[in-house]
Amino acid sequence: MDETRKQELIKTLSSRLNQAMRMYLDSCTRCGTCIEACHAYASEPDIKYSPVGRAQNIRRLYEKYFKGAGKLAPWLSEAIEFDDAVMKKVYDTAYTCTGCRRCVTYCPFGIDTQQIQSLAKQLLIVADMEPKVLSMLADMSIAKGKNIDKTKDSFATAVSNLEEEVLERWRSEAGAKAVPLDVQDANVLYIALAGKHSIIPAASIMNAAKEKWSLSYFEAVNFGAFVGNPQKTKEIADRIIQEATRLNVKEVVICECGTAYRVMKYMTGEHPFKVISFIELIARYLKEGRIKLDKAKLQGQKVTYHDPCQLARNGGVYEEPRYILSHLTDDFVEMTPTREDNWCCGGGGGLVAMGEKDFRMKSAKVKVDQFTATGAQVLSTACENCHTQLSDLSEHYKTGVKVEYLSDLVSKALVRE
Amino acid sequence: MVDKIFYFITVPMVYLAFAWCVVGILWKVIGILRLPKQTHTLKIFPEKPAAGLRATLEAFTMPSVRRHQPVLWFFLGVFHLGILGLILSHLDLLPQINIMPAESKHMLGNGAIGVAVTVSVLYFLLRRFRTPVREISVPADYLILFLLFLIFITGDTISWANSWNPDGFMLTKQDFGLYLNSLAHFTFANPRDLLSGSHYVVIVIHVLLANLLLLALPFSKIMHTFFAVPLNRLRRV
Repeated sequence: MDETRKQELIKTLSSRLNQAMRMYLDSCTRCGTCIEACHAYASEPDIKYSPVGRAQNIRRLYEKYFKGAGKLAPWLSEAIEFDDAVMKKVYDTAYTCTGCRRCVTYCPFGIDTQQIQSLAKQLLIVADMEPKVLSMLADMSIAKGKNIDKTKDSFATAVSNLEEEVLERWRSEAGAKAVPLDVQDANVLYIALAGKHSIIPAASIMNAAKEKWSLSYFEAVNFGAFVGNPQKTKEIADRIIQEATRLNVKEVVICECGTAYRVMKYMTGEHPFKVISFIELIARYLKEGRIKLDKAKLQGQKVTYHDPCQLARNGGVYEEPRYILSHLTDDFVEMTPTREDNWCCGGGGGLVAMGEKDFRMKSAKVKVDQFTATGAQVLSTACENCHTQLSDLSEHYKTGVKVEYLSDLVSKALVRE
Repeated sequence: MVDKIFYFITVPMVYLAFAWCVVGILWKVIGILRLPKQTHTLKIFPEKPAAGLRATLEAFTMPSVRRHQPVLWFFLGVFHLGILGLILSHLDLLPQINIMPAESKHMLGNGAIGVAVTVSVLYFLLRRFRTPVREISVPADYLILFLLFLIFITGDTISWANSWNPDGFMLTKQDFGLYLNSLAHFTFANPRDLLSGSHYVVIVIHVLLANLLLLALPFSKIMHTFFAVPLNRLRRV
């Protein structure tokens, strides 16, 4: 590694040392309480996958460049300098962390491994060692935002092709668009994913609730957050913020994507609109009696629910999915552990987008044990990453458990009065 | 020569170590306060009522450790309460403070606090030699625990040796009080003139080790003492 690159890395490390990060790096007593918190360690006990193990590389670099003891007696804290081998280790721990923050609930201080790994990811970007697929996807999202006028027509055409499938689930009022776009002063701007699976169920539910809504031109997923680039994360989120502001919507509703929800709700500052998840919107429709569901659709099947980490532990949406499920089935079973203690699915942090199937399957064995122990035939969830990962796990371990989006279950159970 | 070294350790070095420690802690804390704050929330959900109070309580009671590592939690509790007890018992040596009756020959806890922290720190130390904690430990982790162990064991020895004399205490709480009082009043009196016991060398070693701890403290992970509450607030508030 040349000196220029080393200096860039030191500068980047320094730029991320805010109050929280300094306290995290100075306070860890390496008590080991967090070790068992990580699904990857619990599935495949290797200390590098423990939260404290993941943080060690960054802490050692911090000791070397920012602490007197690390400069004078590096052996004391095992302080290390930037080099290619170290950066390889940083990669192994950063891009295998799903950012689920389960370890934050174990640590007596609440040290946030996701924050430390986000610093690690930023160092890897500077070292040009980040997974290129994530950077490429982030760049594509940004480019779409810059060239939206050129792609609007083709997007509208693609969306209109979905209308028939939406109408198969819920026949709207005559003349009403099944998937409306560019609706000024809409109550809801719905941010979907790039795929009809997140548009059709949502459209049918909002149409059933007679909502004044509009589909966003932009996809919810934020690859900038996955790759760990704060600037790109902001640029990707800004596209949606600008659209919502232009349309003067009351609420921005994020589809079943945990990271998109957390980024938009908690990491982009104050907005002139409210940010909620689509799960919260469905629960509200049920409470207001705007939609009704038929429990017969899931008759004879035991159902469980996987709390997506970014939606639940890091977003606070716990009760709404359970409320929705109480309208879908009388045979619901909680996983053990559940809610804020729930195991991560092992697919977050960009791992699903990166592929990494072998690692994902090995590192989430504990998740398979958890959901199979419920005896449920249907595993519902509310995040695309989780859905993909859980489906892969179910198939890989031949559990026979069917993984379903909560919105899809709701859409298929809609009752017309 | 030995007397001069002993005097340096028990008087000037105590002041130097104490001043170094205070300045070091302030330097560290102010340095962190001057850094930018976190821009987005680091909260963990569900939100709970009285989050600020809860965060403070969690910092002191460590409920997550109790849940996941109950044995460690027990010894952490004994250790931290013991440290509090030791601070109080050392302050109680001053004639102006009387937590124990003024005429008591014993320090607060009658030596039990010292034994409790010694056993606790021995547990922390031995635990570090076992997998998986061994894999995450660095030399500084062992050294700071070993230093604490030596401080406590010499403290225990002083406490125990005080009753060596069959006629009663060789050195009492009042004797140690004179030494601490002279330090507090900057009299620069030689402690040897105040502490006549034959185990004076153990007292000097105890003070030397405590000085070393004070010198290392601002640059060690013991700084978690000052950050535990703000860090818990980041998670809850």
